[in-house]
Amino acid sequence: MTDRIVITATGIHSALGTGKNEHLASLRAGKDGLRHPVHLQTIHAGEILLGEIDKPNETLTRMAGLPGNNPGYTRTTLLAMSAMAELLKDADLCTLLRSEPFAFINANTVGGMCTVENMYPDFISEKQTGPFTQYINTLDCAESTEHIARHFGVKPLMATISTACSSSANALVLGARMIRQGLVKRAICGGCDALSRFTVNGFRSLKNTDDQRCRPFDEHRNGLNLGEGAGYVLLEKEPDAVQRGATVQAILSGYCNSNDAYHPTAPSPDGSGALRTMKGALDMAGLTPEDIGYINAHGTATISNDDAEGKAIEQLFSDDIRYSSTKPYTGHTLAAAGIIESIFSIWALQEQIVYPNLNFRTPMLEMRTTPVTTLLENVALQHVMSNSFGFGGNNVSLIFSKS
Amino acid sequence: MTYPVYILSASAISPQHSFYPGNFPDPVVHTDDGQLFITDIDYTRYINPVAIRRMSRILKMSISAGLQCLKEAGVEKPDAIITGTGRGSMTDTERFLIDMISLQEEALNPTYFIQSTYNSTNGWLAMKTQCTGYNQTYVHRGASFELALLDAQMLLQEGSAQYALAGCFDELTRDYFFVKNKIDYWKKELPDSLELIQNSHTPGTIAGEGAAFFLLSSKKEQAAAVLQSLSILNDPDAADLSEQVNIMLGNCGLSYDDIDLVLTGMNGDCRQQYIYDVITPRLAPGTTIAVFKHLCGEYDTSSGFGLWLAIRLLATQEIPELIIHRKGAPGKIKHILILNHYILNNVSAMVVSHPL
Repeated sequence: MTDRIVITATGIHSALGTGKNEHLASLRAGKDGLRHPVHLQTIHAGEILLGEIDKPNETLTRMAGLPGNNPGYTRTTLLAMSAMAELLKDADLCTLLRSEPFAFINANTVGGMCTVENMYPDFISEKQTGPFTQYINTLDCAESTEHIARHFGVKPLMATISTACSSSANALVLGARMIRQGLVKRAICGGCDALSRFTVNGFRSLKNTDDQRCRPFDEHRNGLNLGEGAGYVLLEKEPDAVQRGATVQAILSGYCNSNDAYHPTAPSPDGSGALRTMKGALDMAGLTPEDIGYINAHGTATISNDDAEGKAIEQLFSDDIRYSSTKPYTGHTLAAAGIIESIFSIWALQEQIVYPNLNFRTPMLEMRTTPVTTLLENVALQHVMSNSFGFGGNNVSLIFSKS
Repeated sequence: MTYPVYILSASAISPQHSFYPGNFPDPVVHTDDGQLFITDIDYTRYINPVAIRRMSRILKMSISAGLQCLKEAGVEKPDAIITGTGRGSMTDTERFLIDMISLQEEALNPTYFIQSTYNSTNGWLAMKTQCTGYNQTYVHRGASFELALLDAQMLLQEGSAQYALAGCFDELTRDYFFVKNKIDYWKKELPDSLELIQNSHTPGTIAGEGAAFFLLSSKKEQAAAVLQSLSILNDPDAADLSEQVNIMLGNCGLSYDDIDLVLTGMNGDCRQQYIYDVITPRLAPGTTIAVFKHLCGEYDTSSGFGLWLAIRLLATQEIPELIIHRKGAPGKIKHILILNHYILNNVSAMVVSHPL
């Protein structure tokens, strides 16, 4: 029997705040982090609600432990560093980083676009020098990964994944596989994305954003709210965690990556892609649908996602399955969504709670079931599933189990 | 990672005539403006004309290269599709960005946004092949392609795939060249591309682009080559690199004397030459040293063209004069060491051998 892969540390930063306490306070109270953007300079600011983190870059710089006036760091990287700083606040971990082989697996969708989009006119102007040149190499997705690996000394392996909305769920899968293969002993996995006008306008041009608060699994849902954030978890084999006296927060007991092979942006309407992925994760974990006590759904509140995901859930699970989407709290944080929701799933196991699906009023005509709409406490949760489905048909389901 | 995987087929769209490589490298393509763009192929053989009209260059070249690779191996549906790209679709990203700025965030065309997502090629390849299996996209600068290969090695070792399609693609645009010139990526005085390596005393290189795909399997039948070992290093110093190459060779049961050819990613930039200078003095006098970036230009995943070339050389058993940097002893080409460095300090090494 192969060793179990466990999660022993987390770091998170979203529109709900940082760390477990701030997040759980909002999650329990049903209080979302959406607002009209203040830091993102978009002409749509007055109309749209986003899961924007309330801190300016100067504050993030301080939180990341960087000296002030740090040109060259984009908000994407600063968000990622602030979440990493939380994960690495454990001194033992910092010692381990210096002495043992780690992988750093990061996920991202638009790199430092949040900065580049404001400087691009300078990039392509005749100007040869200026502050903008420090940001020319920040457009690609690996810029945050490289900054973090260097700053915190994570080595020898690093990788950046970009599979749209399932990116950081894939980071977890890759980290677990690398540990199983013996490439590294431990892996720090997660993802980050800062809000940018590029993505906000991209999703608006696709007409799948809601200017109101998003309503996952509601008959009248009308699209998503975007958000920003970062999250990371430490993965290691259970015996390695036990040996160093670490507290096991949860077990990563199953995962599956599969593809819809259906359409560039839309999921297979019958939910077959989502179904295949969830089944794959159950098979790997050696579990049956009855074992899953809660599904943290992808639940973007777009017409097509919730339709396909909902159908898949109803095909695979019994009608009393508990599911909800936490995207109304944080907004859809794209490359960070998979990891943020994984951390929420881990906390659900630890606290034995199920989060309410905010803003739900009207059941979908196509569905028999409805999401959980009130906070459930003292639920006997043994296994929680987290879904992440992305553009390009990239689907990932993860299963976390109680330690 | 040292785990031998067999390469059943390879296809590359590059600035050269590599897609139908009959007389490769003839007729050779070169330029004196520092920008090597791909030689287009007939994309309608792979993608229907209606879809082509809306598709960006990178999608056309990557989908075609991927499908041709499968065709050559006689495999319709791989079990996994894994790619690497440093830049994704630059054209779509630039287009959406410039439109967004000039149209002040109104009336934007979603096609550019969709195609700017880094995994759009993967989605298309999955659709075209109906592959619902494992699907992954790496976007890590000069290690993007190598990470895709590493993942494929892992999948094959796990036994969760029989055929893994691994590939890479990157695109050059005029704006990309213009912008990166401001941070000294390119040579100030541009030589003819074929003279790139002879101009290794000055900083800067030339730009390129391309797509390359490989069908990997853990089974030896019909193999064109075997990828024995792969290493990815970040910011290595001389000691790191030489130690890693020693470990790789040792794991493969080889010594420097067994290497018939070292295919290097020398790009003419004097600031990056030190990487190659770590290894070349250790080579046996009979080992040939060859180069390839004067043919494809420098880009994040140019090592994909390097691997394609290595497989071609193993198949033809001929080393064209055009790529020889230092001539070694004549003889059969059995083992090739590919050594690559990318501008932002990603370094990789691969041991690729004849399958027999």
